[in-house]
Amino acid sequence: MSNKKIIALYVLPSLLLLAGLVYIPIFLTGYYGLMEWNGVGAMEFIGLDNYMNLLQDPKFWFSARNSFFLALFSTLSLILYLAVSLILAGKIKGKELLRKIYLIPMLLSSVAIAQLWIKIYDPNNGMLNSLLQTLGVDSPPAWLAQRETVLVAIFIAIIWQYAGFYIIIYSAALKGIPASLVEAAEIDGATPIQIAYKIKVPLISGVIKTTIVLAIVGSLKYFDLIYVMTGGGPNGASEVIASYMYNQAFGIKNFGYGSAIGFALLILALITTWGIQKLTASKNDSIQF
Amino acid sequence: MQENTKEKSKGVKRLAMTALYTVLGLVAVFQIYPLVWLFFFSLKGNREIFGRSPFALPEDWLFENYARVWTDGNINQYFFNSVFITATSVILTVILASFVTFAITRMKWKMSGFVLLLFMVGYMIPIHSTLVPLFQFYKTLNLIDNPLSIILAYTAYNLPLTIMILMGFYRTMPREIEEAAIMDGCSVHRIFLQIALPMSMPVLSTTVIINMIYNWNEFVFVNTFISSDKYKTLTVGIQNFIGQYLTDWGAIGATLMISIIPILIAFFFLSNRIVEGMAAGSVKG
Amino acid sequence: MLKKRLGLLFALMLLVVGLVACGDDEDTSSGDNGSSGDNGSSEEEVVIDFMHLWPEGSSKQHNMIVQTIVDEFEAENENVTVEMEILGNEQYKEKLSVLGSSDDLPDVGMTWGGGFINPYVSGNMFADLTELDTDIFIPGTTEAYAVDGATYGLPLELNITPMYYNQAMFDEYGVDVPETLDELKAAITTLNDNDMTPITLGNRDAWTGSMWYMYLADRIGGPSTITDAISGDISFESEALIQAAAELQELVEMGAFINGTNGLGNDEAKGYFINEQAAMYLMATWDLPEWTTNEDNPQEFRDSIGYFKFPTVEGGAGDINSYVGGPGVGLFVAENSDVKDEAKDFVGYFVERWGEMSVTDAGVIPATKVDTGSLDLPQMYIDILNDLNEASNLTLYADVQMSAEAADVHLNMIQALFMGEVTPEEFAAAHEEALRAE
Repeated sequence: MSNKKIIALYVLPSLLLLAGLVYIPIFLTGYYGLMEWNGVGAMEFIGLDNYMNLLQDPKFWFSARNSFFLALFSTLSLILYLAVSLILAGKIKGKELLRKIYLIPMLLSSVAIAQLWIKIYDPNNGMLNSLLQTLGVDSPPAWLAQRETVLVAIFIAIIWQYAGFYIIIYSAALKGIPASLVEAAEIDGATPIQIAYKIKVPLISGVIKTTIVLAIVGSLKYFDLIYVMTGGGPNGASEVIASYMYNQAFGIKNFGYGSAIGFALLILALITTWGIQKLTASKNDSIQF
Repeated sequence: MQENTKEKSKGVKRLAMTALYTVLGLVAVFQIYPLVWLFFFSLKGNREIFGRSPFALPEDWLFENYARVWTDGNINQYFFNSVFITATSVILTVILASFVTFAITRMKWKMSGFVLLLFMVGYMIPIHSTLVPLFQFYKTLNLIDNPLSIILAYTAYNLPLTIMILMGFYRTMPREIEEAAIMDGCSVHRIFLQIALPMSMPVLSTTVIINMIYNWNEFVFVNTFISSDKYKTLTVGIQNFIGQYLTDWGAIGATLMISIIPILIAFFFLSNRIVEGMAAGSVKG
Repeated sequence: MLKKRLGLLFALMLLVVGLVACGDDEDTSSGDNGSSGDNGSSEEEVVIDFMHLWPEGSSKQHNMIVQTIVDEFEAENENVTVEMEILGNEQYKEKLSVLGSSDDLPDVGMTWGGGFINPYVSGNMFADLTELDTDIFIPGTTEAYAVDGATYGLPLELNITPMYYNQAMFDEYGVDVPETLDELKAAITTLNDNDMTPITLGNRDAWTGSMWYMYLADRIGGPSTITDAISGDISFESEALIQAAAELQELVEMGAFINGTNGLGNDEAKGYFINEQAAMYLMATWDLPEWTTNEDNPQEFRDSIGYFKFPTVEGGAGDINSYVGGPGVGLFVAENSDVKDEAKDFVGYFVERWGEMSVTDAGVIPATKVDTGSLDLPQMYIDILNDLNEASNLTLYADVQMSAEAADVHLNMIQALFMGEVTPEEFAAAHEEALRAE
C-alpha cells in the first residue's frame, strides 16, 4: 500500500465525520447569518446586514470583551495548574491519591457545579459571605448580583471546574519525561525547583502550548456555568459571546442574528489561534517532521 | 559538600515541606468536598436546600429521594444507554484520533498542516451554534431519534480536542524505535499498532478519561436529537425532576449522585492505567 | 441538491468506518408527525405525538392527569395512540425552537401565550383552533393565544399574582396587612428595623421584578396603562410609567428587597420565604400548593401564610381588584400534522377534562370555568377563585405581551433599575425605543 493510500485510510474517515457534522452545520450557520429569520417559517435574505450590525453592536463587543477576559484569566491559571502538576510529579508522599482527588470536580456535571457555586456565593446564606462575616467584613458583596463582582466570581468557578482537565493533561505529559534525565540532574545537585523549571517545563513545552490554545479557544466559546448561574446578567454584566448568541437565537428568536454571532465567534477564535501560533512558533516546532 | 548543604537546609526544608503538605491537603479537601456536599444535597428537600445553611448536614435524611429517583425515573434504561453511548463514542473517538495524529506527526505529506488546522477549527465551534443545522442534517439522513446520531456527534465534536491532546505527546515521543522498525521493514500499520499505540498509552488513557466525562455529562445533543424514552441517557433523567414551576432539587441531587458513581469508578480505574501504561512504555523505551 | 449529495457522501463514509445503522428504523418516523398518511380512511391506526413539560418526577399530579386523559381518549378512540415526550421547562423551550426551525413540530404540544406564539403563527406552524374556543373558557383567557381574531392555543391554566406574607412574622413585629403603598413602606421600615428582610425576590430572571413594576404602573396609571403602552396607544414615557419606575427604585433604595436580589433565582428567593427569612413574596398562584398541600413545608409554616392584594397607591388611578397574571401554558396543534383532525379532537377533549380534574387533583387553576361550590379545596384556593371572579382586570405579564426582542430589553431594564444603573426616565425611554422599533 502506498503512503498516500495509508494516509487517506487514516485521516479520511475522521475528516468526513468532521465535514458532515461540524463543517456543514457551521457553514449553514454562517449562511443563516445572512438571513432575517426568527427560527420559524420563512427566511429573508438580507446580505451582510447581520454581520454589519454585529460590528456596531455594543452588546456583542461587551460580551466579546468578557470572553477575552475569561481567556486571559484561564491562560494565567494554567500557571497554577502547571505548578500543582509539577509538585505532584515530584517526590511527594501520597501523590497518586492527591492527584485523583484533585481531578474529582472535573467529573461533576455543570448542573451540580453551578448549584454548588450558587450556594457558595449566596449573598445571605452562602459559605463565602458567612466566612467573610466571621472575619469581620460588615457587608460583603452580593457576588452574582453586582456588576463589579459577577465576572470574577464566575471566572473563579470556571477555573476551579477546569483544574482537573489541565492537571490530568500536564500529569500525563510529566510522566512521559524519562526518569534518567531527572536523576542525572539530581546528581548534578539541581534543586527540585530548578529541575522543574529548567528540565521538565521545556520538555513538555509542546503540551503547554496545546493547553494554551485549548484554554483560549475553550474560553471564547464558554457557555455552561454562565448560563446557569447568571444567564448573562445582571443587566448583561456577565454576558459572554456564547451566551449572547444563545440568548439571541433561542431566547429572543433572532435566529439569523444569533447565527451571525456564532459564525463571528468562529472567526474570532481562528484569528486568536493564528495569533498564538505566530507568537509561540519556534524553529524546532514546525508541524511536519 | 553536598551532604553539608543538605544538613544545613534540613530544618528549612522540613518547614517548607510541612507547609506544602498543608496546602496540598487543604486543596484536596476543597476538591473532594463537592462530592460530600452533593451527597448531603441529595438527601434534602427543597426547603432545606434553599435554607439557612446550605452546607450543613441534612436535618432528616431523605433517602426516599433515591427511592423516588429509582421508581419515578427510567433510570435502568437511561443508565444502560449512557454506558453504551459513552463507551462506543469514546472508543471510536480515541481510535480515529490516534489514526489522524499518527498520520500527521509520523508521515510526510503536503497537506498535513492544513488537515491539522481543519481539526483545530472543529474545536472552536460552540455546540449551540450548530444545533439547528445539525438537526436538519440528521433529519435529511433520517437519523433523528436514533442513538447513532448521538454517537456520531460525540465523536465528531470530541475528535478535535482529542487530536490536539494526542498531538502534543506524539511530538515528544522518541522516534528511534520507529526508525529501527522501518529499517527492519515493518509496515506502517504494524508501526502504528505495535509501537505508536502502546507507547501513547498514558495519554490515551487521559483522552479516554476526558472523553468519557464529557460524553457522560452531555445533554444538549441527547435532548435535541432523541425523543424516545428508550434512547435517552442519565443526564436527561434529571429533567424528570424539573417542573414548570416547582423543581425537585433533592431528587436532582440524587440523580446526579447516582450518575457520578460509575464515572468515579471508571475514572479511578483509568487513572491507574496512566501510571501502568507509562511504566510499560518506559520499559520498552 | 447539494444537501442530498453530501448526505450520500456521509452515508458512504459510515460504511467506510464500518458503522451501519441497524434495527433502529422502526421509530424514526415519530419525528415526522406520525406514520399515517392523510389518504387513509378514518379507521386507520393513528399516532398523535404529544410533547409536554410535566414530568412524573416534579409534577406527579399533572403527569397523572395527563396520563388519565390520554388513556380515556385512547379508550374512546380505539384507532388512536398518543405518544408522549416529556421534557423539563428550559429543555422543552429549546427543543421546540429546534423542531420549529425544521418545521418538525409534534402534532400536539404546549405553548405560551402573547409574544411567544407570534413567530409560530406567522410561520404558519400552528393550526387555527378557533372552533374549539368555546364558552367553557373564562372570558378573555384565550385572547392571549389569539392573532388577528383566530385562536391558536387553548390555555390550561390561569394565574393571578397575589402578595404572599408570613402572618406569624407580621404578628411578631406588629405589622398590619398593607392596603396602600405608604402602608407597605411603613411595614418595610418596621421589618427592616427588626433586621428582618421584608421582601424576597429572585430578580435573576427579571420577570419577577417585572411583576412589581407592572403592579406599580397599574396602581398609579390605571389598569390599562401597561397594555396601552405596549400596544402603542400611549407612550411608555408617560408620567405614570416613569413614576412607577421611580417608586420601584425607591423601594429598592429603602431596602425592601432581599440583599443580592439580581443574583438570585426564583427558587432561591422562594427558599428565603419558606425558611422564614423574609416576610413577603410576590408570586403567581401557581405557588399555591407550596402554602397549602406541599408536605415538604412544615404544617406550621403553611398555616402562617396568607396573601393580600397588591396595595393601591394614594392618588393613583388603580383598582385593588386589578391583577397581574394571565394564562400560562396552552395546547397547540401543528399545522402540518398528518393527523390534524384527530389532534384537534384530542386537544378539545383534553382542555375539557383538564378543567374538570386539575384544581382538585393538581392544585392548578384552569382557564376553564370552575364551579367552586361543588369542590373540596383548601380555603386559600376558594378565596383566590372568588377574587378571580371579582377581578376587574387582568394584565398579562409584560414580558409575555411584548415581542421577544422588546421583552429582552424590558427584562434587562428591570435589572438595571434595581441596580440603579438607569434613571426612571432612561428606563422609560429605552422601553419606548424598543417597543416602537417593531
